Amino acid sequence: MPGRGVHPEDSAVPVPAGGRTLHKEDLCNKIKEQKVVVDELSNLKKNRRVYRQQQNSNIFFLADRTEMLSESKNILDELKKEYQEIENSEKSSIKK
Amino acid sequence: MRREAWACDMPMAESWNPQVCRTLCDTHVTDRDSVHILSPAPRLPLFSSRSEVTPPLRSRAQEGAGLVLVVTNCQEKIQHWMKVDNDYNALQERLSTLPDKLSYNIMVPFGPFAFMPGKLVHTNEVTVLLGDNWFAKCSAKQAVGLVEHRKEHVRKTIDDLKKVMKNFESRIEFTEDLQKMSDAAGDIVDIREEIKSDFEFKGKHRIAHKPHSKPKTSGIFEADFANDVKSKDLLADKELWARLEELERQEELLGELDSKPDPVVADGEDTTSSEEEKEDPKTDMNAMCQVTDSLDPSSCHTDITNAQLFNGQVNSQLNCSLNGSVSYQNNEDDDEEEENGDDGDNENDHDTLGAGDNSIPTIYFSHTVEPKRVRINTGKNTTLKFSEKKEEAKRKRKNSSGSGHSTQELPTIRTPADIYRVFVDIVNGEYVPRKSILKSRSRENSVCSDTSESSAAEFDDRRGVLRSLSCDEATWSDASESILEEEPQENHQKKLLPLSGTLEAFSGTVIEKEFFSSSLTPHQAIAHPVLPTIPERKEVLSHVPEETVKRVSRFKAARLQQKN
Repeated sequence: MPGRGVHPEDSAVPVPAGGRTLHKEDLCNKIKEQKVVVDELSNLKKNRRVYRQQQNSNIFFLADRTEMLSESKNILDELKKEYQEIENSEKSSIKK
Repeated sequence: MRREAWACDMPMAESWNPQVCRTLCDTHVTDRDSVHILSPAPRLPLFSSRSEVTPPLRSRAQEGAGLVLVVTNCQEKIQHWMKVDNDYNALQERLSTLPDKLSYNIMVPFGPFAFMPGKLVHTNEVTVLLGDNWFAKCSAKQAVGLVEHRKEHVRKTIDDLKKVMKNFESRIEFTEDLQKMSDAAGDIVDIREEIKSDFEFKGKHRIAHKPHSKPKTSGIFEADFANDVKSKDLLADKELWARLEELERQEELLGELDSKPDPVVADGEDTTSSEEEKEDPKTDMNAMCQVTDSLDPSSCHTDITNAQLFNGQVNSQLNCSLNGSVSYQNNEDDDEEEENGDDGDNENDHDTLGAGDNSIPTIYFSHTVEPKRVRINTGKNTTLKFSEKKEEAKRKRKNSSGSGHSTQELPTIRTPADIYRVFVDIVNGEYVPRKSILKSRSRENSVCSDTSESSAAEFDDRRGVLRSLSCDEATWSDASESILEEEPQENHQKKLLPLSGTLEAFSGTVIEKEFFSSSLTPHQAIAHPVLPTIPERKEVLSHVPEETVKRVSRFKAARLQQKN
């Protein structure tokens, strides 16, 4: 069965962008997207093939479904952490 | 299913091996490079220079805005370059891991929206875009090195941008500090100069310049006066009053100059002057009119009348010729309309007849009109119109030939146009008589020269040309008719002179005619305009043998004799 391509590209973006404090809104959007990716990947049938898009190009490399799922979950966690940090810093600044 | 797919994928995989992937990645990046390497270079210096020029106190708002703009711009660029760097990082990672496996299962893009399962082979063979559609084939490792090199450049530009941004941020802080200082302490004051007032001033000047009329000049004068007074306020009263008196005197002088254009001053002179002017030589008329305003009102009136009478027919250029005919009425109307013509500055506007301003320019032209016409035209509007048409035609011809001496027209006829004018004037009362004169003239002399049939043929041709040139003019058509009548006669006398074929200056022949008799002149004059070259000659030649060769110019006579 031909697999359907999932684009975990989005997940790759925030990792290298680390160090830059992204705006809260951007973070929110990315978190939402990542959540969707995780849900999609987790709900896939076992025999589905997952492709990962090479950044900035149109080629999709075949990837392992479970790996991608775990990776996307990790990314989601990182995003959530970052978001929390931003919120905390904002709160602290407001208190001060 | 799968097997088939793979089989079919193989060729695709060939084409879509890492090289292609690499090229794709590179093309994107390189495009950005080209765009962004260029853009920051020209823009940044501009901004920096501007920031240097603007003093800190001038306008904080503007400068602050400019600085902020620069900073935001830098931020955007930095962001973009960060993304490029990010892309290069991903590419590098992919390249570094690409040779790990012998082949990759991929989805091969089939256009922007279609994909096809394929296999990526030759994983250690990459083509790198060097630029301008040149590619280098290299291994994945070498490609990584190239990517690293590019990344360096990207990092460098990012650093530069960051430096610029820092610099401008510091400037923004500085301006903010200044504002705080000015707000806090009264020592520092913000000096602002509004440009708007300047523009208004300039605009006023221009407006004043255009009218060039009294009110404006007076206004200027007043302004000067006021300024002077202010400057003198500090001086003693005596000095001030003396100064005032001086100024008043000057004002009077200026006022007189300005008042000249006024109709009131000129009124007494106008009626007389206009007539006098007509008789005067026209050479300096234009300059005279412009300089001496006293003449203007009359001229203005004439123009107005002309425009009113002949509305569409009167053009700025035509006025000169038409003036003579119209001027008569103008004189009559002058008394009535003198009031109207105050300001003569707008000479060119014939269309707008309402005020005296427009008419003024036309007036000058009108004065240029010949005195002869004025006499002849006395009174009849219809005749006047007719004369106008004729004159227009003459002018056109003059323009085309370029041989019009309007100034010398009265006594001497130098050009066919002049002859034509004279003729018109004499006959002016009625159109028909002129024709008759031509016919009679030709019959009397039985002139018509003529040389040869070939010349007659030439006549026809020329006639056609002339008609085309003359176009509308009834006079032209008349002349052509007269020529036609003359032609047979000319044929009879062909024998006289073969010389006529040669081209000679037109003026010479005409002059001769004048000497003979005033009555003769018109006939020739008409003939000349119609057939500028050949026919005249024929007549002249015929005359020469008949009446007196001596009267002919010596040069011509000598020539004729030699030819004979």
